[in-house]
Amino acid sequence: MASGKLYGYSGKVLRIDLGKGKVVKEDTRVDLLKLYLGGTGYAARILWDELKKSVDPLSPENKLIVTTGPLTGTLAPSSGSVEFCFKSPLTGIFGQTRAGGKFGPKLKFAGYDFIIVEGVADNPVYINIFDDDVEIKDASHIWGKTVHEATEILLEETGNLDASVACIGPGGEKLIRFANIMVDFDRAAGRCGGGAVMGSKRLKAIVVDGDRPIEIAKPEEFYDAAMEAINALSKVREELGLYGTAGGISSMNEEGRLPAKNFQTCYYEEVEKLSGEELSRKYLIKRRACFSCPVGCGRYVWVPSGKYMTPPHEGAEYETVDMIGIQSLMKSMEPLLRADYLCNTYGIDSISAGNVIAFAIEAFEKGLITEQDTDGIKLRWGDAEACLALLQMIIERRGIGDLLAEGVRRTAEKLGKNAEDFACHGKGLEVPAHDTRGTSKSFAIQYAIGNPRGACHIEPAWSGMWDSVRVTLGLRDFGLPWPPPDRFEETGVKRGEACRLIWLFGELASLLGICRLPMQAEEDSNLNIRRLSALVSALTGWDLDPKTLLTISDRVYTLKRCFNVREGISRKDDKLPKRLMEPLKTGPTKGQKVENLDAMLDEVYEALGWDKATGKPTKEKLKELGLDDVAEVIWPQ
Amino acid sequence: MLKNLVVNPNKCTGCRLCELACSYKHFKVVSPSKSRIHVVRMPHEAIDTPIYCIQCGLCIDACPFEAISRSKETGAIKVDMNKCTGCGICVFVCPYGAASIDPDDHKALICDLCGGDPECVKVCPENALLYLDADKAVAYKRIAFSRLQRKELIALMPDKR
Repeated sequence: MASGKLYGYSGKVLRIDLGKGKVVKEDTRVDLLKLYLGGTGYAARILWDELKKSVDPLSPENKLIVTTGPLTGTLAPSSGSVEFCFKSPLTGIFGQTRAGGKFGPKLKFAGYDFIIVEGVADNPVYINIFDDDVEIKDASHIWGKTVHEATEILLEETGNLDASVACIGPGGEKLIRFANIMVDFDRAAGRCGGGAVMGSKRLKAIVVDGDRPIEIAKPEEFYDAAMEAINALSKVREELGLYGTAGGISSMNEEGRLPAKNFQTCYYEEVEKLSGEELSRKYLIKRRACFSCPVGCGRYVWVPSGKYMTPPHEGAEYETVDMIGIQSLMKSMEPLLRADYLCNTYGIDSISAGNVIAFAIEAFEKGLITEQDTDGIKLRWGDAEACLALLQMIIERRGIGDLLAEGVRRTAEKLGKNAEDFACHGKGLEVPAHDTRGTSKSFAIQYAIGNPRGACHIEPAWSGMWDSVRVTLGLRDFGLPWPPPDRFEETGVKRGEACRLIWLFGELASLLGICRLPMQAEEDSNLNIRRLSALVSALTGWDLDPKTLLTISDRVYTLKRCFNVREGISRKDDKLPKRLMEPLKTGPTKGQKVENLDAMLDEVYEALGWDKATGKPTKEKLKELGLDDVAEVIWPQ
Repeated sequence: MLKNLVVNPNKCTGCRLCELACSYKHFKVVSPSKSRIHVVRMPHEAIDTPIYCIQCGLCIDACPFEAISRSKETGAIKVDMNKCTGCGICVFVCPYGAASIDPDDHKALICDLCGGDPECVKVCPENALLYLDADKAVAYKRIAFSRLQRKELIALMPDKR
């Protein structure tokens, strides 16, 4: 940075100690920005430095970091991101979770890149931010209210109808381990239980707005790069904009990748009743975009009448449709939309909720859960009424719902017997709506390694893009092996190089502050690394060429692994749930399973620079990335 | 023939790229607060609508400092920044909330149609904003006005695009 002036970033960090009721404004650390860029990278370094090993995620010692990246809230397309980082109460490892909407942009317009929330408030509070004015205010009147109610009240109370609200529902207050943080009513930072962290701190909400501009180092260059990128996304807009993320349901089913019946199969015969087409044809009121997004995949939907009448809300993403609807074999969109709305407004993650519901149905079938646990409800596949009743029990932590609210790993441990055999989680994170067996082997290894947050389809990236969807993502010039192998091939196919590159590319989204979806398309029409490099370089005035970006990404990805290593994660934890190792019994991908997980792990560890025996990043790798101090901790003398 | 900025609110998804492009065009920064166009989203209604200046000119006569005039070339409102005191009377008379005061320099923010090449129209990914010859624009203006009359009815009506 030649001039000393910071462009693109807002330049300040809010550090708020809820225990002491103290607000401190710090300068954003430029030394950290240079190394970690921003977003979850900056937060990972703060959490590494400031959290002690083995901190209880629901204790005052845990910290919640609200992050933006340099591109957040700018003209860069799809930059309405906010990412929350913390130690996860669900998994006990690094937690990060993202939402769209406008919270991230508004935080930057208020003049802050990050908020670090510490301690626990004596009574429920919310934080109100407008530019320099930052207040911790009483929230006892909204404690217990749903997300929709609380958001509405806060917008009126603060008198700013265009402010952004990130809040928790009763789910977070009740410390449901997969409670989410809801942004602007219906955009969910769903995974890892960020809502429970807020709940444990008695922090109901953060309201933010501001008048500050974001300054640009090279305005003309930046504007040209932004317009070029916006125009390039027109194809993604045509595809995702038409039927939303749920538009993928039908084709995923045909290709045998769509998990159903608690991952017992990858094919659902009645899929057309739960397709994205059905959703948009019958229940869509209008399309809605997040801040600065030309794609506009958001669905503003409702069920106008009938038994499952549901108020208008943004919802039913691909993940929810599968995890709540198809996993439990529902036969209609309407109860699914009702469940989707309940998840949003009570503030729980619909992926984890769907996973534990399907698990509970199977456990009921196997006699591990009985009618005594369920208040007399018979849990059966395809019984939407029973699903909704069970969801309500989870929300209220009533009966078996109290146990299911702890997540599938803890539930299976408690139930004992063979429950772990069909509890689908990776490192404690409920497996989402992509079956590794039906998708590809790169995807299997992604779930197994699960860095940083456990078995996840999109964090850091959807690696099936390479060997399953077969698109280059614009990474061929940076070493992506091409052509990709058959998607079910296991070893000797340069998987390590491919996965590493795709993950590092995906990680950039959470550092720069953009959405991952527009990155996942063919290179002429996606937010590829050249476009990202052009945008962030012109914005900040720093020379951030693609190679430099990938190195920063590598540093962050590796540091997050080190955080998890410090919490006790090692090679033995890099595994797939038993169910995802068993051969698929039906559907187009019948017979698919994973045979050589260990050999694949070796290959990918090698490419990542991780030690094969322990799964730790090697000393050499850490030194190469300038993480010498981290090496001293995870490789003690 | 003069051109008009018109909007097809059915198409707006509420992404607000228009606000960002507007602030860039005039100030070379990104800031919705410095934009002359603003998207209103009603979270519980099917409404995402760009609120923009219809160039009615009420503010011209209202300005006590004669800072506001109309451009002969584009027909658009022009604010003389040397004369503007930021008193806010233009905001007062503007029926739509299209005129506002810049939070930085406290001068009036009123759409000048970018001198005849509006940036918001160029950036809109949905083509919800249009810059049309007066004869083509008039139909959009009538529909916009009729929607104003029926506002209680359009809430929650599914939009079939």
